[in-house]
Amino acid sequence: MASIIEMPELVLDQIIEFLDFKSVLTLRQVCRDFRNFIDDLKVSKLPDSRFTEIGMKVDKDICLRIEDQDRHQYKFIYSEIENSRSFNGKTTTLGNWNIVDVAVRDLELVLKFQKSTLSWSNFDLEDCPLSKESPFKKLNRTIKTKNLVIISDSQSGFMSILPFFDSKTLEDIYLNPTNEEMQIGIDEIVKTEQWRNAKKIHCNFHALNVKVEDICHLPRVIVRTESISARDLDFLKKIFITSSKLKYCDLRMRNFEEKEELCNLWGPAFISGSSSYWYFRLKDSNKNILVFRLREPSLGYFFTKSNFVWNGAIVHDYNEN
Amino acid sequence: MSSTEQGTSSAAPAEPTTAPESAAAPEVPESFYYVHGKDKVVHKVSAGALQHSALIHGMISNLGYTEEQAKANPFPFENIDGDILQMVVDWCNQHKGKPTPPEDTNLPKQKEKLFDLVLAVNYLEIKELLTYCCKQVAMMVKGKSPEEIREIWMIPTDAEDEAAEKEAKKRAGKEAAGETAAAAGDAK
Repeated sequence: MASIIEMPELVLDQIIEFLDFKSVLTLRQVCRDFRNFIDDLKVSKLPDSRFTEIGMKVDKDICLRIEDQDRHQYKFIYSEIENSRSFNGKTTTLGNWNIVDVAVRDLELVLKFQKSTLSWSNFDLEDCPLSKESPFKKLNRTIKTKNLVIISDSQSGFMSILPFFDSKTLEDIYLNPTNEEMQIGIDEIVKTEQWRNAKKIHCNFHALNVKVEDICHLPRVIVRTESISARDLDFLKKIFITSSKLKYCDLRMRNFEEKEELCNLWGPAFISGSSSYWYFRLKDSNKNILVFRLREPSLGYFFTKSNFVWNGAIVHDYNEN
Repeated sequence: MSSTEQGTSSAAPAEPTTAPESAAAPEVPESFYYVHGKDKVVHKVSAGALQHSALIHGMISNLGYTEEQAKANPFPFENIDGDILQMVVDWCNQHKGKPTPPEDTNLPKQKEKLFDLVLAVNYLEIKELLTYCCKQVAMMVKGKSPEEIREIWMIPTDAEDEAAEKEAKKRAGKEAAGETAAAAGDAK
């Protein structure tokens, strides 16, 4: 009599193609042979797990949270003190295994089945002890997600996660500090494909040494930074009035002392309350108008319709120079 | 109401008009081949039905056997049980020259038979039937626990597996030892 274990690989491949993600995971637990077989299978042969959200929080313990399309949540807790993993009310002692290794292996296994793009990925390293290495260092693959939120207190923390996301599918990136006043360098972050290809970036910490060239390509950007020169603002303005790709740019400064230079470059502002406005016509559109609003120490570029321009304000015509 | 009835009645005659046409097409005399399994029971199968099997189709194309030659040289499939080969032949006959349906519920319910059928069908390279069989095998364990799967698919646990392996090794070791002992005896 034939046994399932002796089936040719191609037959087993085909059987597995008829199973859903959960059944394949169960099958992995049946015996060593199946586990090895499934772990060696090409990704294209595996069913899609269709998760929508993945979250990981690293503090003393590691918490891995996954949500599927029916908004059903799965939560894995890896406890360092007990050296155990809890899932679904069941706790397993991990023996000689290190919890980081086990968490990464579980995450990899989950991701192996994830073919569709996740909507959200959240990674919280807020209370991650310095001694703990990023679980991602050992991750052997990229993650496809549309939105990514990372909470960390250092550039190296952000950098331990950001590069593991597929830059082609990643659209919006939210980089959050653990404390609002934190100052963090971004010279490494801005070099990543993920930063360069993003559609939206909200950088909610004080970014050090922000260069205007690093943000001028981003369609939607909010950055908090030290300060910026009037010349850089003029450079950004020129990009805003010529490029149809940009949507808004919000810069929140510690201090801004170049208002006079701005007036020299752009003429007097329209003042309303504590805000100063400048308006510019665009190269390719008559419907929209670029607004530059300065409400010290914050400033921003955005678009508005011409009937929303303050009465009496000057709208500068498009001028290439 | 009446308009829909009219619609169906006007559509209905379309079928009979096309049917005689195909029936009137000149019929190619069908050639037959013979196959047998482990039980040596010979089955006569038309080349058309055998087309489902890529393996047999490859064997018979360009063979140019006469009826007598074919009868005298049945294809032996010693690795396939007689009843399993019968199932395969029946399936090929039933689906001869027909587009295969998306599903086949007429497969053996008994898992031992189903597994044997999978192996035979895989060997004979009958793609559609293999797909149905694989689906049926998969459906057996959908939503089941690891323990249930082990039972349904008759898989030994790792511990049993290891024990069996050890046993086999031990036996092999004993035999080898016996042989060396015998060889040593011979040398003396």
